[in-house]
Amino acid sequence: MRLGLRIWILIIALILALLSIAPWKALENGVLIRSIEVNSTEFNQGLRQGQIINTIDGKEVKNLQDFSDIINKKNFSTGIIKTIISTDQGEFILFSNKTPEFTISKIPTSNIKTGLDLSGGSRALVKAQEKDLSSSEINDLISVVSNRLNVYGIVDVQISPVRDLSGNNFMMVEIAGATPADLKNLISQQGKFEAKIGNQTVFVGGQDKDITSVCRGDPTCAVVETCQQSGEGYSCTFRFSIYLSEDAAKRHAEITKTLSVNTTQQGRYLNESLDLYLDDQLVDTLLISEDLKGRITTQVSISGPGSGTTNEEAFNDAEENMHKLQTILITGSLPYKLEIVKLDTISPNLGKEFTRNIILLGLVVFLIISITLFIKYGRIKLTLSVILTMFSEAVLTLGVAAMISWNLDAPSIAGIIAGMGTGVNDQIVIIEESVSNKHINLRERIKRALFIILGAFFTIIAAMLPLFWAGAGMLKGFALTTIIGVTVGILITRPAFAEIIRRMEE
Amino acid sequence: MEENKTTEENIIKPREKFKFNYDKYYKLMLLIPIIILLASLIYLGVFYSKTGDFIYKDVSLSGGTSITINGEIDQQLLNLGLQQKFPDISFTKLEDIATGKEIALIVESSASSEELKTEIENILGYKLTEENSSIEFTGAALSQEFYKQLITALIISFILMSIVIFILFRTLIPATAVIFAVFADIVMPLALIDILGIKLSAAGIAAFLMLIGYSVDTDILLTSRVLKTKEESVNTRIFKAFKTGFFMNITALAAVLPAFFIITGLPDSFRQIFLILAIGLFADILNTWLTNASIIKWYCEKKGIQ
Repeated sequence: MRLGLRIWILIIALILALLSIAPWKALENGVLIRSIEVNSTEFNQGLRQGQIINTIDGKEVKNLQDFSDIINKKNFSTGIIKTIISTDQGEFILFSNKTPEFTISKIPTSNIKTGLDLSGGSRALVKAQEKDLSSSEINDLISVVSNRLNVYGIVDVQISPVRDLSGNNFMMVEIAGATPADLKNLISQQGKFEAKIGNQTVFVGGQDKDITSVCRGDPTCAVVETCQQSGEGYSCTFRFSIYLSEDAAKRHAEITKTLSVNTTQQGRYLNESLDLYLDDQLVDTLLISEDLKGRITTQVSISGPGSGTTNEEAFNDAEENMHKLQTILITGSLPYKLEIVKLDTISPNLGKEFTRNIILLGLVVFLIISITLFIKYGRIKLTLSVILTMFSEAVLTLGVAAMISWNLDAPSIAGIIAGMGTGVNDQIVIIEESVSNKHINLRERIKRALFIILGAFFTIIAAMLPLFWAGAGMLKGFALTTIIGVTVGILITRPAFAEIIRRMEE
Repeated sequence: MEENKTTEENIIKPREKFKFNYDKYYKLMLLIPIIILLASLIYLGVFYSKTGDFIYKDVSLSGGTSITINGEIDQQLLNLGLQQKFPDISFTKLEDIATGKEIALIVESSASSEELKTEIENILGYKLTEENSSIEFTGAALSQEFYKQLITALIISFILMSIVIFILFRTLIPATAVIFAVFADIVMPLALIDILGIKLSAAGIAAFLMLIGYSVDTDILLTSRVLKTKEESVNTRIFKAFKTGFFMNITALAAVLPAFFIITGLPDSFRQIFLILAIGLFADILNTWLTNASIIKWYCEKKGIQ
C-alpha cells in the first residue's frame, strides 16, 4: 500500500523527533565532563566540557564509581605521572602531578532536559532594592553575579534577565544539582569591601580596582589557623594574603606616615588600626605593626573569624567565610543592593518519584482513553490510530523541547498532557465528521472538521500567549508545551490522521 | 416487511419525542445554566465582600514558604508544634501512585523560610537539607504582583479568544453566545473552587487560561455545525453536534480526571491544573449544550434558519 504524503511527513517528523531526543543515550557507558578549569593541564590538552570519558589508562569507565576508583588508585602525590583519557572526541594524554581538574557527572539518558522541580536545584529571582533596573542595568548585574558565582566555584549555573508583564526587570539565577550553602548571601550580598584607617579609605575590593590578586587554595598564604574553645563553642581564625596595586600601596604609605606609634604588651603598633568593612559593617580590625609606617607595601594579610559548636564546625565555618570573602575581594561589589524576592531549593530526591508518577500517569491516561474510544466505536484499528497519533504528538512535542533545549518542569509536563487532551478532541471531530453526513463527499466533511480544529487551535494559542510574560515567566513552560503540542498537531498529526481515516473509510 | 416497518417507527419515535420536547422547552433549559451562573456570581460577590478577593490564595500568590519534607512525616506532631507560632499553617500529603506509601509532606505558611525551617527542625530533631527537603519561598510583594499579572493575563487571554471567535463566525449573536458560554465556564468553576475552600496556586490560575482554550472547541463544533451546514433540520444538527461534543467532553475528562484523582504523588500545583480543567469540563457540558445550544437555536428561529 502506498502511504500518502501526509503520513510520510508524520513518519519523517517522528524520526527527526527521535533523533532530537536521542533516547538511546541511556544505553551508553561513560561519564560526562561537566565543567573543566580553564588553563588546567586537562584543558590545555584539549579536554572540554561536554565530552564523554569512556576509558582511563585503558580501563573502562562505566559510571561515576569506576571513575573515582581509577583516579583514587593513581598516586598523583608522588610526582608527575601519565594518564590516558579516551573520550568520544578522541584520546588525550596528560602528564600531571595533580588530580584531574574537572568535575564529572552521569551522562544524560537522553537529550530531554528536566527542570529544577524535577531534577533538583535552586532558583532565585532577584531584584534591586528600592530601584527599578533597566534591562542594561540588569545585564551589568548579571555579569558581576555570574563572575562571582564562577569564582566561588559554582559550575552549573544559568543567569538570565526576566521581564514580566508590568515591565519589571529581574535577574533569575538557576543552579542545577546541589545547592551551595548560603546561596542567599552569595547572590544578594552586595559585598562592598573597604579597608579604612580612621575614616580614610586605603583600598576597596575588586581585582579591577585596588587589588591585583588574592591568594586562595595555597596553604602558604591562605589558611585557617588557631582554633580554640570560646565560651560554649569553638572559634577559629582564617588568614590570607592579598596583593595591592601600586596606587593603593602608596595610599597606605601616605596615610600611615602621619600616624604615631603605640607600645602595647603584644608589641609596637601604629596608633590607628586598619579596619575592614563589608557592606558598611566592621568585620575585622587589624593592628598595623610599626615597621609598616610610611612604607609602600603591596602585600596585606586579611583575617576573619569562624565559629561553631564543635571544633570541626568552627573550622568549616572559618573556611567557608574565607572562601566567601576571597570571592568578594576578587569580584568586587555588586552595583546595587539586592533583594531575593523568590528563592526555591528543590531536593533532587523527590524529582525521581515525580518522574515515575508522571510516566505512570501517562500510561493511565492512554489506557483510559483507549477504553473510552473502544467502547464508543468498537473498532480496534480506529482506537489504535487515535492512540498512536496521541503518542506521536507527545513524542513530537518532546522532540521540539529537546531541540530547543527547553527544561521540562512540572508545568511543561502538565502542558503536554493538556495538549494531548485537545489532540484527542480534534481527532474525535475528524472521525465524527467523516462517518456522519455520508451523502456529502468525504473531502468536504474533512474540510469542515479542519475548520473546527483550526478554530480551536487559534483560540488555544490566543489563550496561552499571555502566560509567556505573566508572573516573570514562571509558567512559561505550560504555555510553551501546549502551544508546541497543538502546533505539531495542526501541522503534522491532524493532517496525517485525517489521511488515515480517509483511507479507512474509502 | 411489516415487522421491519414497526422497528423503524420505534427508532424514530423517541427522536420525534425529543424534538417535540426540545422545541418546547429549550428556552426553559437556558434558565438552568443562567441560574447557576447568577448563583455563582452572587457567591463570588459575597465572597469578595467578605475576604477582599475572589479566591483563596496559596503561598505562591500571597507570599510565604512552602516546605516539602521527603519521607513519612508525623503530621500530627508537626501540627501540634507549629500551630501556636504559625496560625495559618497547612499540610498536604503526597502519596506514591503505585504503593500508596506517603512520599512527602508539604507544609505551608506565610512565615519566612528561615523561621519555619528552624521550627520544623526543632520538632523533627534533624536538619532540613536539600537531601531530605525542598524549600520554596516567595516574597509577599512579588506574589501580589504575580497575582495581579496572572489576572491580567486571564483577561487578555479572554479578549484574544473573543477576537478569534468573532473572526471565525463573523456574526454577532452566535459569536457572543460562544463567548458567553466560555465566560460561564470560568465563573462556575471559580465559585466551586471557593466553595470547596481550595487555595489557588499560580499554576491554578494558568489552568483557568487553559480552560478558555479547552472549553471552546465544543462550542465551535456546535456553532459551525448549526450555522455552516444545511443538510438536516436545526434540531438534528444540534443533536448530532451534541453526540460528538459530549463524547469529546467525556474523553477530555478521561484524560484529566486520573491526573487529579489517581496521581497523588505529584506537586500540588500540578494536580490543581487538572482539577480545574475537570471542573471546567463539567461546566462546559452544561454551558455548551444548554446555554450555547439554546441561544443558537433561538437565533436560528428568529433568523428563520432551517
